[in-house]
Amino acid sequence: MTGPLVPFREIVLKVHSRCDLACDHCYVYEHADQSWRTRPKAISDDVIFRTAQRLAEHAKTHALPSVSVILHGGEPLLAGPARLRRVCEELTSAFEGVAELDLRIHTNGLQLSPRYLDLFDEFGVRVGISLDGDRAANDRHRRYADGRSSHPLVLKAVELLRQERYRHLYLGLLCTVDIENDPRAVLDALAELDPPLIDFLLPHATWDDPPPRPGGSPTAYADWLLTVFDHWQERGRPVPVRLFSSVLSTLGGGPSLTESLGLAPTDLVVVETDGQLEQVDSLKSAYEGAAATGFDVFTHAFDEVAAHPGVRARQLGLAGVSETCRQCPVVRSCGGGLYTHRYRSTGPSDAFDNPSVYCADLAALVRGIEARTATALAAPAVTGPVELVAAQQDLTRTLLALLNADIGQRGGEQWEAAWELAAGIEASEEGARGLNEVLAHPYTRTWLLDAMEPVRERSGAVDVVHRMSACLASAVVRAGLDLFVRVPFSGGRIFLPGLGELRMADEGESGAALLIATEDGFLVRREGGDAAERRIVRPDAAGPGWRPLRRIPTPGSAAGFVLDDLDPYRDCFSLPAAGALDERAAAGLAARIGEAWTLIGTKAPGRTEEMAGRLTTLTPLTGLPPAEPAVGRHGYGALGIAPDASSEQLASALLRGFRRAELQALRDVTDLYAADGSWEHRMPWQEETVPFSRLLTDTYERMALGVFDRRYLEGVPQALDALEGAAELTIDGKQLLHRMRKEI
Amino acid sequence: MKISESPRPFAVAKKESVPLSKIDTRTAEATRKLGRVFAASTDRHSMASTFSSAL
Repeated sequence: MTGPLVPFREIVLKVHSRCDLACDHCYVYEHADQSWRTRPKAISDDVIFRTAQRLAEHAKTHALPSVSVILHGGEPLLAGPARLRRVCEELTSAFEGVAELDLRIHTNGLQLSPRYLDLFDEFGVRVGISLDGDRAANDRHRRYADGRSSHPLVLKAVELLRQERYRHLYLGLLCTVDIENDPRAVLDALAELDPPLIDFLLPHATWDDPPPRPGGSPTAYADWLLTVFDHWQERGRPVPVRLFSSVLSTLGGGPSLTESLGLAPTDLVVVETDGQLEQVDSLKSAYEGAAATGFDVFTHAFDEVAAHPGVRARQLGLAGVSETCRQCPVVRSCGGGLYTHRYRSTGPSDAFDNPSVYCADLAALVRGIEARTATALAAPAVTGPVELVAAQQDLTRTLLALLNADIGQRGGEQWEAAWELAAGIEASEEGARGLNEVLAHPYTRTWLLDAMEPVRERSGAVDVVHRMSACLASAVVRAGLDLFVRVPFSGGRIFLPGLGELRMADEGESGAALLIATEDGFLVRREGGDAAERRIVRPDAAGPGWRPLRRIPTPGSAAGFVLDDLDPYRDCFSLPAAGALDERAAAGLAARIGEAWTLIGTKAPGRTEEMAGRLTTLTPLTGLPPAEPAVGRHGYGALGIAPDASSEQLASALLRGFRRAELQALRDVTDLYAADGSWEHRMPWQEETVPFSRLLTDTYERMALGVFDRRYLEGVPQALDALEGAAELTIDGKQLLHRMRKEI
Repeated sequence: MKISESPRPFAVAKKESVPLSKIDTRTAEATRKLGRVFAASTDRHSMASTFSSAL
């Protein structure tokens, strides 16, 4: 099995191997593996010590920021307070200066008392409790050996945890599902105890030993959980539910949150009371010895266990699930379910190379949650162009706020002054609008992304302040604000984003300029210079020391383009930006762009309407094939073009570029797909297989180019089918596909 | 007088933006937004463990 070792981040430490309850659904005592009988009752000092050492060594080797240790068993409280104190002390001291230690305990709660809780408080051990619902539900399985109910004592334990002094240790409640229990009553009973978190566990089962299905329904467990889900939603989601959180996360393209679901690598290992190292112990439901590795803390480092094939098998993501699962559209959310539940002792291949015995339930659960939440979860930006622009705006503003938070010392007084000025500008309506216009400029995003790159930290603080001041000046000019802006410069020039380039002094010179808006433009003078040096600039007209960005009109539409061949931050494409165009070249290009626009408008008036005001900035690049557009590392609205392209070529570039830019803009603010590259997709129009993202982009662009040549549309319906059935797709992605379907 | 001929790139969003100085970049939502344009951090979810038999 290839790939780097996945270090363990969660260690399940069995501090006691026996239990004071006799729950009949327990995987430790009631299922195939009976190794508990041979284990020492309690963890020994030696094992405690060696485990702590080995764990700290593991954390150091992999520079782990934190490790979770979950005290478990059997019933961990049976180890007694003295032994538990020993465990906490050894672990805490071993981890001192190495990594953060996150201690937890999972218990049936029967022995929980202030004595234990005070100890846990001392070491920050958080407490999770098993509870299957109300008394009736809990009594179904969770009884003493003599048949007595455990419920009253568990409630007592939870009450203790809910006290003010111990509240911060209350981790939550873990409930094993029994479909004979009323799902709403179970949720209510758990929620009533005010836990910070709950989770539902499917009863351990395998293909050899399937779960009970009293009604015979293949989705009985999903139906039960979805009833909980609906009740949970109705009640306003009173408590986070790990199972639901995981599905909601993966539906949105994020990671799974439990080993029961999804493709996230399992970074768990179990240490038994005698120091033996085991794979995750739910495997005990499969067969005797299923969890064994042959390693122990005395003889082996954790890395050796990490390399064990059984352990690796649960870290391989897609490669670790059955072929059936790999082809299934819900696999990112389901992940083939809990590893143990795939076990089948007979059959042609490896015993775990199967879907889960709960497969139908898991699929129904994922689809059910998706159906119930898709509308609420889908980002408005996917279907609303105004919302997309707003989301882009919001991202830029968040980046600027992050820059302010990051710049700290480097920015000095100059940055602070600029930041204060920004607040002042924002305070008025016109100012806010002017500033937002500058922030919406595509190369503002480029500046922000660049400014936060680590390499720039050393040298670029000065540039960052200069650009910020220039942005503010530009905002003030656009808004017509009666406010002086001081703009420091170097290289003798100031570039006002979206407006043009101001020559302040000779090339080698640095200084500062003072700008203020006027009736029909702005006034600028050099700081420290004499009054006679003031000049008024009309932004749209070239003048001494002022080189405006050129506007390119688009026939039939007011918006037009800005030809930006001056902004220093325009150099954000994979090909270099061309130098500033001379009058002749610029005029020629403008004319051809106008013709291209007319061409598009003739074939597809809807498109020019769409593009107007959304594509705003064109930057000539060198080496770009003439009919090709370029999208780079900038905000929504810019395109790189070839300055010598013909009108027809430009028409193609603009149309294709608009689509490409829109998808990029969506990727910036939504999650259209996840695990891109995990599957290969055939493109209907060429031999090679490609990742999902490429199939999506190509299809999206072809749909637009179809107005020039119908042949572009061949294969698009098949492509849409393939995209729709793909596991990479998220809720946002499905919305986009829905929109694409409506387009053709 | 404002620059009448310069194209207004985008209609400013109708809803009020949070003022720059009040934007909190450490919330889960902000982290998610920023994570789309920066490389996502590989830190684990701190609230719950992934072990199915514990929280």
